[in-house]
Amino acid sequence: MQDTAANNAVVVQPKLKKNTDLMRRILKNRALYLMILPGFLFFVIFKYIPMAGIVIAFQDYQPYLGFFNSPWVGWKHFERLFSDPMFFTILRNTLVLFFFNLAFYFPVPIILALMLNEVRREYFKRFVQTLVYIPHFMSWVIIVSISFVMLSMDRGIINELLVMMGFEKVNFLMSNEWFRPMYIMQVIWREAGWGTIIYLAAMAAIDPGLYEAARMDGANRLRQIWHITLPSIRSVIVVLLILKIGDVLELGFEHIYLLLNSMNREVAEIFDTYVYTAGLRQGQFSYSTAVGFFKSIVGLILVMGANWLAKKVGEEGIY
Amino acid sequence: MAKRKASVILAALTALAVMTGCAGGTATNSGSQTPGNSTGSSTQTPAETPKEPFKITIMANLHTPEVPSDKIEKLLEEATNTQLEIQWVPDGTYDEKMNASFATGTLPMATYIKNQSSLIMMKDAIRNNQFWEIGPLLDQYPNLSKLNKDVLKNTSVDGKIYALYQERPLSRQGLIYRKDWADKLGIPAPTNTEELYNMLKAFKEQDPDGNNANDTIGLTDRNDLIYGAFKTVSSWFGTPNGWGEKDGQLLPEFMFPEYIETMDYIKRLHAEGLINQDFPVTSKNDQQNLLITGKAGAYIGSMADVVSLHNKIIEVNPNAVLDVQNKISGPDGEFGVWAIPGFGSVVLFPKSAVKTEDELKQILAFYDKLMSPELANLIYWGLKDEHYSLQDGRVLPIEDISITDREVKPYQALQIGGISTIDGFYDAVHALPAKAKAEELILDNNNYLIHDPTAALDSATYVQDGVRLNELIKDATYKYMLGNIDEKGFQDAINNWLKQGGQKIIDEFNASYQQAK
Repeated sequence: MQDTAANNAVVVQPKLKKNTDLMRRILKNRALYLMILPGFLFFVIFKYIPMAGIVIAFQDYQPYLGFFNSPWVGWKHFERLFSDPMFFTILRNTLVLFFFNLAFYFPVPIILALMLNEVRREYFKRFVQTLVYIPHFMSWVIIVSISFVMLSMDRGIINELLVMMGFEKVNFLMSNEWFRPMYIMQVIWREAGWGTIIYLAAMAAIDPGLYEAARMDGANRLRQIWHITLPSIRSVIVVLLILKIGDVLELGFEHIYLLLNSMNREVAEIFDTYVYTAGLRQGQFSYSTAVGFFKSIVGLILVMGANWLAKKVGEEGIY
Repeated sequence: MAKRKASVILAALTALAVMTGCAGGTATNSGSQTPGNSTGSSTQTPAETPKEPFKITIMANLHTPEVPSDKIEKLLEEATNTQLEIQWVPDGTYDEKMNASFATGTLPMATYIKNQSSLIMMKDAIRNNQFWEIGPLLDQYPNLSKLNKDVLKNTSVDGKIYALYQERPLSRQGLIYRKDWADKLGIPAPTNTEELYNMLKAFKEQDPDGNNANDTIGLTDRNDLIYGAFKTVSSWFGTPNGWGEKDGQLLPEFMFPEYIETMDYIKRLHAEGLINQDFPVTSKNDQQNLLITGKAGAYIGSMADVVSLHNKIIEVNPNAVLDVQNKISGPDGEFGVWAIPGFGSVVLFPKSAVKTEDELKQILAFYDKLMSPELANLIYWGLKDEHYSLQDGRVLPIEDISITDREVKPYQALQIGGISTIDGFYDAVHALPAKAKAEELILDNNNYLIHDPTAALDSATYVQDGVRLNELIKDATYKYMLGNIDEKGFQDAINNWLKQGGQKIIDEFNASYQQAK
């Protein structure tokens, strides 16, 4: 909020030539400036100043030497990362899981929201809506544990059912093939309901007159969805898509780390888990920072690319 | 947007640093304590009585869910003329907290280091003169000088001693099994791996619980190659402990044929369904539950676990009987069992907190008193008649564990030395016969120990990359046991390990080994 206020406050000013002018303006609008001050300080202190810590990616950081006395080593940690035989596996896993997320998870809340939007009875709609977003409030530990109990080879209910129906048991938990489907199913289970909230809000803002007009023209339910609902929430979808891409490499350390084991490491190791094992568990702060830094750059490029693309096709983008 | 994450590590550290600053602060020692506790006053040196209590800050790991009451702490302060400020950190997050405190320069005066592998992580800092060397001072203290020189050597860095240690039995490893099942099927305690196999097979196939359903398995294991079953079974097969000597050269355990034999053995158990199918992803809790709920009949790990397992299993099935067994020999008829280097936690004294040698000496004096039998018994067993009673000079703890958990058990983490280095330290009465036998077998294990030759050796690459490289082998070991890769695949993993830095570790350890000889 404060940020927007800040931008507006600055934008509405005509261009100033002298500092005294600027000071006078600030003084005149001091109430506005005072209002953005807490937010501004928050970002400076907690977001921008700590960012200076990135320097340790270029140092051999030793805690007892501190930022100022640790030796500078240039690109050493990045060279180590790029020459690590695991690097391409990790990059591939991260990107594959990201695209799975986009392809299989991203549309689910939209479809769910469209379906809920068509429900006539208000109480039923609210009931379903509440029910589907409750899993969002459970931690990954619980989601993964429940899946674990269900998918276990030792009397897991799914495997018992498979056996009853005459199939072979499937080792869901410890196989390369099943890791990705399992991951994406859990993401949908936990997040899909929560994701519908914004879409439902956007749909609530659509002018009912449009639907009436469409009905007059003889459009059925599906036609109304296709020609009115979807185009109306298109910009919301685009913004959320860009934000999602911004999270490209944020696949959730906790979730993946809980699923990761010796048998599925080839497809499950991602940057976050790698940073944890190779870096933090061994106290290699510099190397972990370098890996995290690289990850952020990839994320930044993807966001800017997506935003550029969105503007190309005539949408608003996020900045 | 994406920039957010870039500084997350640092932000986390900062946050932790803030918390470090706020935590602790239990010391509200004000003047007179309750009279009638003669435990301590006798150990107080007269020369120090008039002095102000010396303030010592301590960070120690907490094995119970709650921070203890300060009853014992008060007595301890009184007896040693100190003011203790103990920061309790839950065991599960201890290493992270320690790393963060270290990174922010806020380590307390006496910092407990969780175990050997955590100590190895600190080696670099120790070399860089961040901690006080205490070796030359130890002889001045009557109790500290009794600490075992060999164990101290295992904690040393470049031959210098920096740490006091907490004694641990060298090897508690063995088999815990359902005696009632075995008796019913007429199986004696297994004495070699083949008999063990037959027992596990019978547990699965001959319906030991008599419910006419094929719903039992033999062994229950978990996702831990070291403290789970694997490493113990591997020593039965004669695999070296961590590293072994072959043709005069030190090599890692997984390059020995015995390691492959062990994997083959577990692979056979897995293929025949004698072990829980999910063992590579089974938690310790789930592993123990399989035994407790009567689904599995055998457990390989610390024999001391028999007490807690017994307490839980009789709640489920009052007729269940557990027994322990240590000597299970491999195909060559020899029995051996891997040993830890003789210490559990150790204490280091950071120079950032302990400013002068004089302060260091005062802290060491505190630890010297802590090793006196009176105080050692106080922090380990609590108060006589309140937390335990004596039976023929042995301790019989009170039955209500919740009281000892709240008032005594956390302080056990402060202990230095142990039963073999403190004269007059009480042994316990073991009400449960299986526990008494377990204690006996733990002592018996001492005759068959396999030591890790690299405990006091050094490899820079191991410190930097060891954990990650070991993952390669760990993964390959599990894959082999589950039949996902064959011996060639395992060999590929070893080659990969060698190529990524393993060869350097071998060279460095061997150079260090030659030097130490």
